[in-house]
Amino acid sequence: MRTRTVLAAAAVTLALPLLLPERHLPVYVLLLLAATVTAGVSLLMGYAGQVSLGQAAFYAIGAYAAGLSAVHGVPTLIGLLVAPVVAALAAVVVGAPLLRLRGHHLAFATLAVHLILLSLLGQGTWAGGAIGLQGIPPLSLAGTPLRDDVGYAYVAWAVLAVVLLISHNVVDSRAGRGLRAAAGSEIAAAAGGVPVGGYRLVVFALSAAFAGLAGGVYAFYLGYLGPGSFPLLLSIEVVVMAVVGGLGTITGPVVGAAVITLLVQALNELGTRPGMPSYAPAALSYAVYALLLIAVVRYLPRGIVPAVAVLRKGTS
Amino acid sequence: MAAGAALAVSGASRAFGGVYAVRDVSLTLAPGELRGLIGPNGAGKSTLFALIGGQLRADTGTVRLDGTRIDRLPADRRARLGVGVVFQAARVFPGMTVLENVMVGAHGTTGAGFVAAVLRLPAHHREERLIRDRARACLARTGLAGWADRPAEALPLGQQRALQLARALCGQPRLLLLDEPASGLRAAERERLSALLTELRAEGITMLLVEHDVAFVMRVADRVTVLDLGRVIAEGSPADVRADPVVIDAYLGAGSPA
Repeated sequence: MRTRTVLAAAAVTLALPLLLPERHLPVYVLLLLAATVTAGVSLLMGYAGQVSLGQAAFYAIGAYAAGLSAVHGVPTLIGLLVAPVVAALAAVVVGAPLLRLRGHHLAFATLAVHLILLSLLGQGTWAGGAIGLQGIPPLSLAGTPLRDDVGYAYVAWAVLAVVLLISHNVVDSRAGRGLRAAAGSEIAAAAGGVPVGGYRLVVFALSAAFAGLAGGVYAFYLGYLGPGSFPLLLSIEVVVMAVVGGLGTITGPVVGAAVITLLVQALNELGTRPGMPSYAPAALSYAVYALLLIAVVRYLPRGIVPAVAVLRKGTS
Repeated sequence: MAAGAALAVSGASRAFGGVYAVRDVSLTLAPGELRGLIGPNGAGKSTLFALIGGQLRADTGTVRLDGTRIDRLPADRRARLGVGVVFQAARVFPGMTVLENVMVGAHGTTGAGFVAAVLRLPAHHREERLIRDRARACLARTGLAGWADRPAEALPLGQQRALQLARALCGQPRLLLLDEPASGLRAAERERLSALLTELRAEGITMLLVEHDVAFVMRVADRVTVLDLGRVIAEGSPADVRADPVVIDAYLGAGSPA
């Protein structure tokens, strides 16, 4: 039954890029990339009990790693593989001291990491500074450059599939049990032999690698990167997606990313209709985060996916 | 099960804000011994327990397991060397089933890491089977076989304590530390616990039993150590300790509960 659901979801999402009108494809690609980043946040928050408000920083690091290496003549596919590695290394460097912090302290520290990175990118001429990094070539697979949105839709799909598979395999393993145990009781987990600090660093790096990989795809897809591409709101957005979809589930990030992205998109279209004031799109999208987050925390505190699972169990 | 290890605590002290909780305590357990550790409230029992388990570090003194110094090691490394811990508070892992909770106990004695898990290498599958079988056996021993797939936090208190013991056993400890395992248990559960401890002792596991219930300790322990105000004030067979005037004076008082 579960396998059948997964296969059906895969079939539908694989058919979508071919069925959707061309103008909707960017939404599809960005939705999947957001889901990929959110999968890392969900692993971190839902299973390891760590809060990161700076996850988009690793998205940016991956994007810049891929973009910069491509601009400097590195084959694009290698650039795409470098992105998660660089993001994971960055996570180890900042995580080693930061992960000593807990709860809100860690959340604010990761938020600060994002702010520092934005400032660095804005100042660094090597990264294009405030103007941004331009002329990133398209991703080239087997010698063929991907130029249309359908190609990126499938690349983003494959990336998300890999990330979800990795998440699933990690959670359901000796290491994953150790992590979940540490989120429940650090002392008892350590007494069972779980090296809590080391494991947290590994998961922090893994979640950064997910974000970095998504960032790499983003860089090749857009062909341009600037500090403005990675606003602070993006880090908040992926946390909201993770919470709305349901922490501690594998499919939660996908559901959360889909719900938020589509809602924001719909409101954006509403806000840009003739007769609407110019501030309408921004006001509406902020409002939707706020209202949706409040509604979910109030009525579905564990998120959409766990709530649906309870419903289905109740009816069967 | 692996045979028990020798434990040697030597001159261990630990102070909190200038006040000694444990002061110059030395304690030697022979392999396979079941030692009771008793003392009035605030005697330093739980602190000494934590110094051995690795939840606290000693300010001075050493802790050796089969001659190897473990006092500077973090708790997870001590677990890997064979130190199993049953905490006083029922520290179960919420959001995980009873079986998964017990499987965590095998963490220190198994080795498959993130890479084996992500790639689903044969090592991962082999070890998962081994851990699951071991955990099921430990659940059966502690009377929890029927609860395996329930969420751990839904268990009644008595079962949560049994779960902790099952988890510790799943690590196949050579030294088992038990902090007040009988407190809050009903009479029948207490009987089952004492039968299980006797069984583990027959298997040769070294055990240190910290307990408030003096009668319970006297019944199961080979030897008993008495702490008062952070120091060892008596040590010997249950009968000797019970008759020791220092113990009666400092701890048991008039109308001894033993």
